[in-house]
Amino acid sequence: MSARPRPRDANGNVGVDTVGELAVGGQVPDFELLDHAGNRRRLSQLVGGDPTVLHFYRGWWCPKEQAFLRRLQALQEDAEVAYSRMVSVSIDPPEVNAAFRAGLGARWTFLSDPDRGVQTQLRLRETTDTLNNPYVPVVVVISPDLRIHAAYNGYWYWGRPTHDELVTHLRDISRQLRPDWEAPTP
Amino acid sequence: MSRCWLALVEGLATDADAAASAFTTDGHPAGTLAAWRRRAKPAHDALRVDERLIDPDGAAAWISLVLPPSGVRLPFDDLAVQQARRLVLLHQFPVGLSTLLRDDSHFEGAITVARSPADEHRLRDDPFARIFPSRLLSVEAGILGAVLPPTGPTIERYGSGNPWPWDRFD
Repeated sequence: MSARPRPRDANGNVGVDTVGELAVGGQVPDFELLDHAGNRRRLSQLVGGDPTVLHFYRGWWCPKEQAFLRRLQALQEDAEVAYSRMVSVSIDPPEVNAAFRAGLGARWTFLSDPDRGVQTQLRLRETTDTLNNPYVPVVVVISPDLRIHAAYNGYWYWGRPTHDELVTHLRDISRQLRPDWEAPTP
Repeated sequence: MSRCWLALVEGLATDADAAASAFTTDGHPAGTLAAWRRRAKPAHDALRVDERLIDPDGAAAWISLVLPPSGVRLPFDDLAVQQARRLVLLHQFPVGLSTLLRDDSHFEGAITVARSPADEHRLRDDPFARIFPSRLLSVEAGILGAVLPPTGPTIERYGSGNPWPWDRFD
């Protein structure tokens, strides 16, 4: 049996996937969900003018998610001074997300999709888990116009981006975004 | 972000764009909390505030007003100030919050807003109160609005002259 070739983007870069309606070069819909504190938040407002890691995950109960969120927690130590943002989305209600976020020590926004409206819109239901009907794990890195710069299918854990891969994508978007990326020197 | 200034002044602030009486927790008058939307500094003790926090239609509120002792100030990038910003993001975000500044490089206080006396315990746990003394005050309607939580995890200011958590360079 031959292995399915790993998807590549238009430039031939390895490490990019298409999952559900999320594909590199496409745009994430500007959805609106409740954050972990119960405030209604629109994605474009959360992203603002910065590169953003948008992370869909199964739920607090999944050991893979707990492990991956520790990776994102490490990333936040850099992101907090790098003008980059992070948003995690699950079907868990706000109060569960708030508790999970506090337990992790996460300092970014968690969104709740308990009605699975966005999950349906993006075709991201994990069909092999008919008990929880969770999100299939996906990470996309997006620019302020919600354009998808990179997409990772995390159904199998090693499909998820490493810390270094996320930094590379955040750097690429920042380079395009910041008019003074080239350091001003005499 | 346009310039917006905040001060707790004695007496009335008739030239302010928004103002309301403030009281101590035991009900004694504490002055007038006033805000001005203008470029020039309007009063001696006025400090720059996140303009989103100021709302002339805002409801009554309870606040933690953190101000440095006279003659004292810290660099905005001091580790203690950084850690207070981290703790704000980590905990349940209040109804509204802004750091207060006079110039581009110093932290000169913070204001944290709650809408209910039941949230007083959260005001008493204000992370900025670990840096400078905090006064808990009640403020009448007419000045304080709400600020949605920042997306996180950014603790940096968007432009050194802008108060945190303002989150855009424009």
